[in-house]
Amino acid sequence: MANIIGKRIPRIDGPQKAIGEAKYTTDIFLPDMLCAKILRSPIAHAKILNIDTSKAEKIPGVKAVITGKDAWGIKHGFVETPRYPADQYCLANDRVRYIGEEVAAVAAIDEDAAIEALDAIKVEYEELTPVFDIFESIKPDAPEIHPNELPDLTEPFKNVGGRCANSFGNVEKAFKDAYLIKNDRFESQLRTHSYLEPQATVAHYDKSGKLNIWTSGMGVFRKRMHLANTLRIPSSRIRVHKIWVGGAFGGKIDLFSHEFCTSLLSIKTGMPVKYVAERDEIFSFFRHGQPMVVDLETAVTKEGVILGQRARCYNSCGAYRGSGVVCIFLCWGFLILPYRIPALDYIGYSIYTNNPVRAPQRGHGAPQIRFAVESQLDMIAEELGIDPIEIRIKNARNKGDVLPNNDTVKNAGLIECIKKAAEKTNFRKRYIKYKTERVYQDNYCHDDYKKDNKRFRRGIGIGVSGYFTGTLIYPNNSAAIVQFNDDGTVKCLTGALDIGQGAETIISQIVAEELGLNLEDVELITGDTDTCPVDIGSWISGLTYVTGNAAKKAAEDAKRQILAAASLELGVGIERLEINGKRIFIKDNPERSIPFSMAIARHIYENKGDPIIGRGFFRGLKDAKIGPSLKNAKGSWSDSYAFDAQVAEVEVDMATGKIRVLKATTAHDCGFPINPLLVEGQIDGQVSMATGQAISEEVVMKNGITLNPSFLEYKLPLATEMVENDYIDIITEEYKKDHHFHTKEVGEGYVSGILAAIANAVYNATGYRPKKLPINIMNDP
Amino acid sequence: MKAMGKKNKKIIRLNINNTVYDILVEHRDTLLEVLREKLLLTGTKDACNMGECGACTVLLDGKPVLACLTLAIDAHDKEITTIEGIAKDGSLSPIQGSFIEHGAIQCGFCSPGMILTATALLKENPNPSREEIKKAIEGNICRCTGYNKIIDAIGDAAKKISKDHQSS
Repeated sequence: MANIIGKRIPRIDGPQKAIGEAKYTTDIFLPDMLCAKILRSPIAHAKILNIDTSKAEKIPGVKAVITGKDAWGIKHGFVETPRYPADQYCLANDRVRYIGEEVAAVAAIDEDAAIEALDAIKVEYEELTPVFDIFESIKPDAPEIHPNELPDLTEPFKNVGGRCANSFGNVEKAFKDAYLIKNDRFESQLRTHSYLEPQATVAHYDKSGKLNIWTSGMGVFRKRMHLANTLRIPSSRIRVHKIWVGGAFGGKIDLFSHEFCTSLLSIKTGMPVKYVAERDEIFSFFRHGQPMVVDLETAVTKEGVILGQRARCYNSCGAYRGSGVVCIFLCWGFLILPYRIPALDYIGYSIYTNNPVRAPQRGHGAPQIRFAVESQLDMIAEELGIDPIEIRIKNARNKGDVLPNNDTVKNAGLIECIKKAAEKTNFRKRYIKYKTERVYQDNYCHDDYKKDNKRFRRGIGIGVSGYFTGTLIYPNNSAAIVQFNDDGTVKCLTGALDIGQGAETIISQIVAEELGLNLEDVELITGDTDTCPVDIGSWISGLTYVTGNAAKKAAEDAKRQILAAASLELGVGIERLEINGKRIFIKDNPERSIPFSMAIARHIYENKGDPIIGRGFFRGLKDAKIGPSLKNAKGSWSDSYAFDAQVAEVEVDMATGKIRVLKATTAHDCGFPINPLLVEGQIDGQVSMATGQAISEEVVMKNGITLNPSFLEYKLPLATEMVENDYIDIITEEYKKDHHFHTKEVGEGYVSGILAAIANAVYNATGYRPKKLPINIMNDP
Repeated sequence: MKAMGKKNKKIIRLNINNTVYDILVEHRDTLLEVLREKLLLTGTKDACNMGECGACTVLLDGKPVLACLTLAIDAHDKEITTIEGIAKDGSLSPIQGSFIEHGAIQCGFCSPGMILTATALLKENPNPSREEIKKAIEGNICRCTGYNKIIDAIGDAAKKISKDHQSS
């Protein structure tokens, strides 16, 4: 027994990254490589009348110039379904809809020539009226960004890119029977991923007619699919190569214009082409997370039990759909997941504006909706005189609960998470202490502190969330191959891409465990569409579950074969054999054993040359043909769900409004932790990202222009703002040999509970109820 | 990827990781461009190119500087240490080892700059407090780790180094 699973094992890519050897897309330098640059629209909304590239083409060193005319008029989208067809060109055709939209691209022998060429391209625009605010944009007299294509849109709204509606239970009765009804609006800001590695792509269309791609992305097969569709070449003629990725957090999953342009420029020139985005380009024009307005109405009994909710979510998806239509489905999902809601009336709208397009960002809808629900639940608890822990336990999902879409939450450990988080932080006692220390219980005014001269105030708050573990969206599944080397070590081929979360370490651990090997005996070949089998990708929180199970099955298959050969060699049944240290032993007679190499040789001899190739594959939601409906949220969503309860402790400087998050305690049920060290790393990153969202981060835009396009002006948490973290594992699933296992999500779910917890802690400290992010206590209500 | 053959070129001498290079640069070339594009020492990362994130930190005569804000000609005749020069004779430095062991590396893009900043810190202050560590790496942005395990790793490396000094 290898006993590698469940251990705090340092990641296998650590040494390469620590010595600077790990190569990222920006680090690729090929001979005769051209530099690509992109010309962007300076106008938020306009018709393109003409593009003249003739002067640019004549500039010395310029090798190719492309515009929308070279792009066959093919559209792409984050979602491409009959309801939500692709709506964006890789290069604008006849119209631009946001400042920064890609209009043309050039490839030149160096950066100077490329920039000179951009300046020489003449674009004639006819300006149209832009609209930037979602509530202005839905008005009937607003300028039309896209025509309405939704037959079920009954509201008199313009510019609606997506609508997701779902209701169940008797909502009217719930509100009629309610002891208390709360109705509030909560707003989440525009924030961004801030992956440290810039967006970058290298394309090399080689003489064999193969398009080689290195790109900073989140899933090589999904990128290949999009590139094949937009470039009109078969996917087999595109090879997306493995390359390390310097962070993504949701912001690199879409197809980006630069990936298409770099590819097309290489096809046109036959030379390698590289594009690296400037940091201010990323801040100003690339895809950020999704700002959201949530109107939430909740009906409860006198005891604080939720009877029903009405929710309206308005998401600003930007000038094209992006992932906005998914975000409004996910808001529904993260609304119904942690608490039992007997009746719900939900509508989410994804609204076009003349702003850059929006993408998923870690949590994708969960931070926005959990901030609303958890804040309001605390308001309800206070009004009813119940404490924040009690009201959560009363409403929390229990083991075996069935969700409105008929998924089950299986061994949900939420109630235990809430109890343990409260216990470990001494929540109740401190909550009451901080609350009673506040001088004014009502009518908050940020100047009040002067009356008692108590400038620094502390508070504690709790938030709860849940998250799904992968769903069905292309490529849906993962496969893996495990092959023995002559020396008894193995090679594992997997399309998984390590974007920093530790995918390679996890897969190595799983394969090593199944074959009784040491970690160093497993060599991975990953993230390459030509050499690796299909992989779901590092997104939708499914990699450890889906690819992990595929790798496990491949290892099991290899093990079955090597044991069969050993059984012949040793002359005993398979059931009497066991594996240890690259040898196969007879369990009841351990004196007798053979090395893997001998069993492999026997297998080759007995099976006409078959060297043992273990195959494994996995797909979640085995009874569902497709993922859940983005229109009405019906259908299975995920095989299992992770849960968490998080407690934040804050200190607020009443004089300046500065908030410090001192400590975060995360009690989490992420199933079986394959590697607790990596689980902690994921929690640390999420707590930090949530802290930024809660107190400092915002991409500030005015009339389609980003006003703070740099790390100096966009306030990310720095080391001096580090939050001390405490972790409580609630392990509800085990890793079973010879079964597929229910690891649960751990990379996204924990940005939301803690975000809400920080907001609740600020209220506990100050009496100011944050309803808008980032929190600013100087805004008196 | 700037044009050569334009103007204002000069040969400078750089001592990088104890190897001396005589190299033709333009006056406007930054140290970061020379390291990455001319010498292909790509361990030094280019993340913002505006002096805001610390990913391009290298040591110039032992002091941490941002290579993206340093002109190559200003580094003439100076000793430069990049991440490629931190491991000695094939073995990782205590800081590198500690980063790996503590899980202080995730995507790895900030790691080279972070390790160099930490190296300079521990040389100057072998027993930093937790607050001193935070202050020292305040200019190095990390989006993956929340800094927790990086701070642990640097603190632990300091202990290991001082123990090694005592025993030797």
